[in-house]
Amino acid sequence: MSVGVRSVRSRGRMARLSRVVWPRNDALRTSIIILIALVVFAIVGKLLLVDPTKQVLRDSYLRPGSPGHLLGTDPLGRDILAWCAAGVLTSLAICALVVALSMLIGVSVGLVSGYSRSWVDHGLMRITDLQLAIPPLPLFIAASAIVAGSIYSVVILVSFVSWVPYARLVRARVLVERERGYIAAARLAGSRTWRILLLHLLPAAATEILVLASLQAGTVLLIESGLSFLGLGLQPPNTSLGYMISVGRTDPVGSWWVVVFPGIMIVLLVLAFNLMGDGLRDLLKADVEGYSR
Amino acid sequence: MTAMPGAPLDPIAPAEATGLPNQRGGTLAISPWLTYAGSRLLQGLFVIFGAVTISFILVNMIGDPASVLAGGQLSHEQVANLSHQLGYDRPVVDRYIAYVGGLLHGDLGVSIRYGTSALGLVLAVLPATLLIVIGAISLACAIAIPVSVLSVLRRGSYMDSATRRTLIVFQAIPEFWFALMLAMVFAVALRWLPSMGFTSPTALILPIIAIALPLVSSLVRLLRATLLDVMASDFVLALRAKGISDREIVVRHGLRNVMSPFLTLLALHLGWLIGGTLIIETIFVWPGVGTLLVNAVKVRDLPVIQAVVILIAVATVILNLVVDLLIMAIDPRIRQVRR
Repeated sequence: MSVGVRSVRSRGRMARLSRVVWPRNDALRTSIIILIALVVFAIVGKLLLVDPTKQVLRDSYLRPGSPGHLLGTDPLGRDILAWCAAGVLTSLAICALVVALSMLIGVSVGLVSGYSRSWVDHGLMRITDLQLAIPPLPLFIAASAIVAGSIYSVVILVSFVSWVPYARLVRARVLVERERGYIAAARLAGSRTWRILLLHLLPAAATEILVLASLQAGTVLLIESGLSFLGLGLQPPNTSLGYMISVGRTDPVGSWWVVVFPGIMIVLLVLAFNLMGDGLRDLLKADVEGYSR
Repeated sequence: MTAMPGAPLDPIAPAEATGLPNQRGGTLAISPWLTYAGSRLLQGLFVIFGAVTISFILVNMIGDPASVLAGGQLSHEQVANLSHQLGYDRPVVDRYIAYVGGLLHGDLGVSIRYGTSALGLVLAVLPATLLIVIGAISLACAIAIPVSVLSVLRRGSYMDSATRRTLIVFQAIPEFWFALMLAMVFAVALRWLPSMGFTSPTALILPIIAIALPLVSSLVRLLRATLLDVMASDFVLALRAKGISDREIVVRHGLRNVMSPFLTLLALHLGWLIGGTLIIETIFVWPGVGTLLVNAVKVRDLPVIQAVVILIAVATVILNLVVDLLIMAIDPRIRQVRR
């Protein structure tokens, strides 16, 4: 009987999910508008604007509104508008990769550890204690002394820490869910463990995972831009927004536009992800308090 | 850790909660404190050991530390020499044991750049960092508590929703960008405040504001949500029935009830606070741990990097322990649950 109840409930959840395209939720709507606007801007910028990494020293420090450079140029003559557009794409790519990688690791560890409750579980809880106690940023800064500044090394570095919230969340859900009747029924019917994990336990945690992922995307972006700002994350030819802010930092008043515009791009992106997380949380009634961040 | 007001009470518990002597002897009254503190201390030691191990692995992860140090600018022979000089040519396990052994004597190695004790370097800059972290926490609390009380008292009003929207935007602002904007406006354009170094007490203002900003928004969000929960509870209904005004209920009863989740969140945010402080310090050229760490990373001064990571872990463990004990002292319900 509990099997029937669940499937009806999960169908209800899917119906609610499908309303995501134009949801009845202000936060979610705002977030979708911002994201679409940014993606359109980034793609149009990529197609129409100059190469953002091209240095034209003759054109250095052009003010915003100069012909051909709407938002001005940096000390090396790189176009800020084009850099912003390319930077949005880079940021989105990093968010997608980090979220996918840490979700993959975290969800698998959480499923296995919560279901087996063996030494795996024990080890995981100790790692969680560690993660809560050692602030990630000093660790990233320390690690970047060794790892080179490509997109992949930044992605691996950030995922190295950010899988833990998924593992904790999924484990907590699995610990509750595995005692339910439908899991006992599935086991009684001879389902294999991987089937129980993937077909029964994973869907039970799906909404929370989704909410956590969108809340985490904003954090990932803040970490990446912070690292790149310090000169420890992405370096050109990667178009990081944080890097451009660090370029403008040397002479902030003489060339305020180099600092201000990439910063606004970061704020808009993080805002969109946070609003999406908040909106999804309210819409799907998924409680991830204490797991995000 | 959720408080359970309806849970069956242990016979000794009420005496303990009120501090009255109980029949089973005085030692029992403190023993839950001691066992709890003891278990947390053990956990803390484990965490510090983990931090030591992680920082050791990080430094040794990519090949030979000596060639990392050289950065490809020395010949093979020179690298081998350097490696021998710094003791990096011994087996990893030996070095790990020697490193942990040194730690137990308070020896975290010698800075490659300055040639002095790495621990000494970190401890010398620690007070400057603590100063702005404590300043930022105080400022954030001083703003967050009144704002959330007002927002709960006028819930649903224009002010309440405006506050919430502002906070959502605040949460999306990168600290380092905000710090730069502050420096641009108040230090460089208006010339009201210094933006570099620790030259006068006014130099504290901008770094503290920059670090407090993200903290304010998460504190207000939490305080508002938990205060609203408390306001919906039965005892508040009873207080209202007695004719006590909402303002008095929030200030005298509500705030006391949200203290423990508030402190828990503060402890959770410490890690992020420290991370943010590290970046902010480099912007204001603040002579603290962050500037030391970033400079050490740039010249690959591995012992100093390790020392900073370990010190931050120790500081986080101690602060978490203090917060946990504070929560136990504030909230008698948690003392019972955790016993």
